[in-house]
Amino acid sequence: MIPNVTRGSDRSSKGLVGKSISYIVFTTWGLITVLPLIWMFYSSFKSNDELITNIYALPHDLFDNKEDEYTVIPRALNVILPYDPEVDTRERLIIESATISPGRRLMLHFFLKEELPPELANLQPGDTLIVSQLPPRLRLKVSWSTIWFNYFSAFIRGGLGIKFINSVIYTGVSTFLIAFLSLMISFALSKMPFKKLSVVVLALIGMGYLLSIQSVIIPLFLMLSSVKLTDTHLGIIMVYTAFGLPLAVLLMTQFMRGLPDSLIESAYMDGASTFRTFASIMVPMSTPVVITVSIISALGIWNEFLLVLVLASSESTKSLPVGVFSFTSLMGTQLGWQLAALVIATVPAIAVYLSFNKQITKGVVAGALKG
Amino acid sequence: MIKRDTKALITYFGFILPGLLIYLFIVAYPVFYSAWLSITDFNPNRGGAWNFVGFLQYRTMFEDPHFWHALKNNMIVVAVSVFGQIPIGFVLAYILFRRLVRAGSFYQSMVFFPHFLSTIVIGTMWKRLFQADGPVARLIQILSGDPSAQFDLMLRENTVMYPVGFALIWMYTGLYMIIFLANLQKIDTNMIEAAKIDGAREAQIFLRVIVPLLSGTILVSTTLAIAGSLRGFDLIFSMTTQGLQRMNAEVLPIFMYRTAFQDYRNEMRFAYGAAISNIIVVISVALILLSNYIGRKLKAGEEY
Repeated sequence: MIPNVTRGSDRSSKGLVGKSISYIVFTTWGLITVLPLIWMFYSSFKSNDELITNIYALPHDLFDNKEDEYTVIPRALNVILPYDPEVDTRERLIIESATISPGRRLMLHFFLKEELPPELANLQPGDTLIVSQLPPRLRLKVSWSTIWFNYFSAFIRGGLGIKFINSVIYTGVSTFLIAFLSLMISFALSKMPFKKLSVVVLALIGMGYLLSIQSVIIPLFLMLSSVKLTDTHLGIIMVYTAFGLPLAVLLMTQFMRGLPDSLIESAYMDGASTFRTFASIMVPMSTPVVITVSIISALGIWNEFLLVLVLASSESTKSLPVGVFSFTSLMGTQLGWQLAALVIATVPAIAVYLSFNKQITKGVVAGALKG
Repeated sequence: MIKRDTKALITYFGFILPGLLIYLFIVAYPVFYSAWLSITDFNPNRGGAWNFVGFLQYRTMFEDPHFWHALKNNMIVVAVSVFGQIPIGFVLAYILFRRLVRAGSFYQSMVFFPHFLSTIVIGTMWKRLFQADGPVARLIQILSGDPSAQFDLMLRENTVMYPVGFALIWMYTGLYMIIFLANLQKIDTNMIEAAKIDGAREAQIFLRVIVPLLSGTILVSTTLAIAGSLRGFDLIFSMTTQGLQRMNAEVLPIFMYRTAFQDYRNEMRFAYGAAISNIIVVISVALILLSNYIGRKLKAGEEY
């Protein structure tokens, strides 16, 4: 009988008003969350003119490129060549789009003259040609690179490729070090004798949780400058690792204390060394907390900004957030490129989010509530 | 026996030292370095020559109108987090928890999503959206029918914190929703059923059963929001353009960054900057301790 009563009261309590309000609240908030992102995505395929004149329209110019007009231009100093003219001496026809930023040498194509039919190969600077005149293979190439114009430009001009790799290195190496070092520390603190000493060490490390990189960025900068580690991968990874440790050690020690001591004792009985016990019993059993710690650390490091902004002065050490920030601030007038750079930085996050949604959510909650 | 203890101690330190040393050098030592810096006139333009100057930097700071402006903005950010993100997050979590909407997990992933984007991406995106003639301005033009309407809140000193506050809520509400949802799911549903059988209505259940049960989580989230808001740098930094606009929206961390790393003419930039970061740490630790203290008091009161 009780289930019936429950269901009955359910129906009355979850009344139409409550439900409607709930839907309105969630739909409104959902739209506020998603619409800006959707706008950002589709607008990243729009040309600069479209972005200024018609903010909400769907992209059109870059896709409708069959009849685009191009002008043949001479090889001059303001043309950045995608090949080394010293090595590759084959003659090329250089054309520039007459519709997308004409005259600014932003949208260029370089065709080998030997691949062109004679009537195109003999075109002189100043002549015009239409995309549909090109042979099919080149037509496809032009069309493709027109659609992805903003993306290619952002990726190449912003040097986002190297910054992406740097971000992967920082995140990967630091996360691994955090997990590894905190596993060792937590094992010693939770499963070895010297309880009093362990309490002191745990309190000492736990105190670091009150600090962020930002609170000591000035002394860090001075210290790392004095040992010439500012603009290096090593320096940045060391800082990330050190600041990842407090939370990782707190979470792991808590977890390991919950594991039964008997396992370790029986391993000792069987004559396993401490290290052996650690590697073959504790590490495998700690997988859940290692995943949590790795997710929290990786997410934080992937998005971290200030440290790299302060420490990295050369392009080869900057991370993706810093790269995107400086690119978008410099390219103030290239709206499409800006948006494309933002999307490039977002896509990996979306991919990871969609594939590990559940674990990530759990990890974030665990990390947040520790504070 | 002593020999075995020594061996055990060596093993113990073998496990602890690699991590502990990195931690001590990079996290613990700079704290003292920073404290020391802030009571000197450390001069990077003269190769780091320094003298003790007592609390000069702190006195300069308390007399600096930029400091008070940044502190005021920081308090606005704290207020937005505590009275914006947390209540909205709580309501959304409650709706999901009571299954008042279908496709809850879909809504949940959608609202939580911004938390995964880099803050820089979010800041830059909102900077674009909030431009004087940008998408939001266009929306206002369409809705108000006035084709010359502009979105100028970002441009004025006394209004710049509104769009900034909005972006902050946009970004973090999902996080608090997830935190509340996780804790709501720990609640014993029998209590809710019992309340319903006694004839309690949805609003009553919410106010009399749910909110008291979650008071601990609310407190922890508040602590988190306060600490996070005082540290917040990236979003406002990337939402504003360097210069007057960023100064208008300046919060303490940005003030610190500008002082230490952008104001090269200031000979005491690192010392002054260190004083600012120390104050940020002191304020946030004080607030965290305070809320933990209140939390303990509340918990003690609950045991009857």
